Amino acid sequence: MSSESRARIMARVRSSCAGNDAATIERELAGLGVAPAAQAPHEDSCVTFMVNVLRNQGTLDVAADRSTAVKLIGNYLYQHYRSHRLVAGNDPRLAAMPWRDGGVLPRFGEIEEGEQIALSYARWGLAETGATVFFTGKHNPSRNNLLPEHHLVLVDTDTLLPDLESLWREVNTAIANGSRPRGIHCIAGPSSTGDIEGQIVYGAHGPRAWHVILMGNVSPEQQEAARALHAGKTGPAPA
Amino acid sequence: MEQHSQQFKENAANALADAGGVAQRDILALFTPIMRDAAVAEFGPYEALRQHVKRVRQHSLDNLDYYLARFELEATNNGNQVHYADSADEMNSIVLDICQQHGARKVAKGKSMVTEETGLNDYLQRGGLQVMETDLGEYIVQQAGETPSHIVGPALHKTRDQIRELFLDKHDLGERELESISDLVGEARVVLRDHFLQAEVGIIGSNALIAENGYSMLVTNEGNGDLCANLPNVLIICTTLDRVLPRAEDATAIQRLLVRSATGQPHTCYTSFYSGPRRAEDADGPLETHIILLDNHRTDILASDYSDMLRCIRCGSCLNHCPIFAATGGHAYGWVYPGPMGSVLTPLLTSLEASAALPNACTSCGRCAEVCPSAIPLPDMLRDLRHEQSVEKITPASWRQGLRLHAWLACRPGLYQFLTGIGIAVMHRIGRKKGGFRSLPLAGGWTSKRDFPSPQGKTFMQQYRQRSRSNEQ
Repeated sequence: MSSESRARIMARVRSSCAGNDAATIERELAGLGVAPAAQAPHEDSCVTFMVNVLRNQGTLDVAADRSTAVKLIGNYLYQHYRSHRLVAGNDPRLAAMPWRDGGVLPRFGEIEEGEQIALSYARWGLAETGATVFFTGKHNPSRNNLLPEHHLVLVDTDTLLPDLESLWREVNTAIANGSRPRGIHCIAGPSSTGDIEGQIVYGAHGPRAWHVILMGNVSPEQQEAARALHAGKTGPAPA
Repeated sequence: MEQHSQQFKENAANALADAGGVAQRDILALFTPIMRDAAVAEFGPYEALRQHVKRVRQHSLDNLDYYLARFELEATNNGNQVHYADSADEMNSIVLDICQQHGARKVAKGKSMVTEETGLNDYLQRGGLQVMETDLGEYIVQQAGETPSHIVGPALHKTRDQIRELFLDKHDLGERELESISDLVGEARVVLRDHFLQAEVGIIGSNALIAENGYSMLVTNEGNGDLCANLPNVLIICTTLDRVLPRAEDATAIQRLLVRSATGQPHTCYTSFYSGPRRAEDADGPLETHIILLDNHRTDILASDYSDMLRCIRCGSCLNHCPIFAATGGHAYGWVYPGPMGSVLTPLLTSLEASAALPNACTSCGRCAEVCPSAIPLPDMLRDLRHEQSVEKITPASWRQGLRLHAWLACRPGLYQFLTGIGIAVMHRIGRKKGGFRSLPLAGGWTSKRDFPSPQGKTFMQQYRQRSRSNEQ
């Protein structure tokens, strides 16, 4: 029985532990400090984010405003599928996009069989890993992140975070405010596998392509710095 | 999972006789350390990160009673049902009960070494369920009726041609070529997509459990674990109680170490954190979530001198750097966990008798300890296990007597140096013409594979003294 097992296991665990009180444990934990983060390829978080998106085998567009973003999305759809259709979550920010500017025809809801492109609006972009971060929920069905062939992601420049610790500060604030998400997805690239002879193939189970549209004030110099850094070195391969 | 560790030597001999397998393992042993080293170098303050995580893991284990209770409380408040399982059978039984309560017929399963340890697939299949592994490597070995050869790359022992034949045999999809690896991955994607959409229960493991908020961390490249965690109506997380960490940032510190050590990537494509079942306002997700915390001798390890082993984060780096693993492959070890970490863990989770060969499958080169992200002293533990084997008389009597004789001599340096001096001089005189010995008494294991070089006339200590004297003059 699980409850009996719990009692037995906890008794054995207790007998091996120091038996410190909570205050002592928390004080000791605080004394351990924080882990060092990876050294960034660039001091500018925006440049680092763009470099890491490219190193993650993502593709990247930069849009100064929402109208430009929609046009870029329209171009992407036409280029890859000769289509104007996509599915997008019920995110008010997506509903408010000027879709006509790009001739895009979104359907809002969860991805269904036969639909191949989904668009999501990231809550944050994470410079350290080049990941786009989502809370699963009403505005962002998890299956829209996981099931399409092409996953398009909008990220605002003012939501870029430098590292994983800053991400958790934001998440902890959301939890403290009663907005605990069921799931947090940090997506850093198309689905991939190296399970056959170590050769990398994209689209193992999830999206074959991951396209990030960074929206906001990104200077040509920042874009050039990111592309130059990426051209100098690409990321290693998964297994 | 059935254990065959006692046949390690036969398994190793068979693996070494397979030229194709040897070549494949040589390539992996060459490239995986290069990729890991590059990722570590690019990170920067890697050693500081390693020492930080070691301290945090040790703190978590030292206070596991506190953090385990905290995790249970937070996870339960998040709506999870938390179960404790003393043994492998108990975990399997809990999973089957949950599946039966929901009338489930199909289970989609992410990669989980814990469920390999408990033999969950066979158990559920005997209970009438269709269980499909969804990690590509795990799917391949499941279809082939094999077991994983590596804890990170379960099917890296198989060639594309073998997998092509397997898929043509197992997938009833008509005539097709399947010429490239992309074709093989594409076919598995199509077959498994249906299963993801039809499964009533998803089963995944966990890379870390976060005590302060009750979340579970999942790290994958394929995204299969996330599909298992999000699409079926019931999610079961099968993990062990030593995965608990105090804070969310501790889990991310593990993430930084784990992926670089495992595959040489800075991070995986998917890093996810799950807190519990879907709420009314959620668009999707499982309606019910269970977390099963397995002990299976881990509390015994916690109480033993081997408690450092519980810091292991299952990255597989020690496997990739071990000359024995590279030579024999993972199947030779005869159980779930191969390589240096397996040679320590297997005797502790099963028995020293059933795993007698494993602590001896070591050259004491120390590479595993150098690259272990958790700084686990694996060679020291292997030595201690060998010592225990000797004390418990599991080691053959001839070995023990030989070791006793050696220990007796080693404690008398004067006599040791005198006798070795005579031995070396005699061997030099006999062997100097031929340059080596084809056979030697008490060294048949060596000379059956290669000649023993003729000694050059003097022992190390004799030469050392001679040089010291000439330097003084």
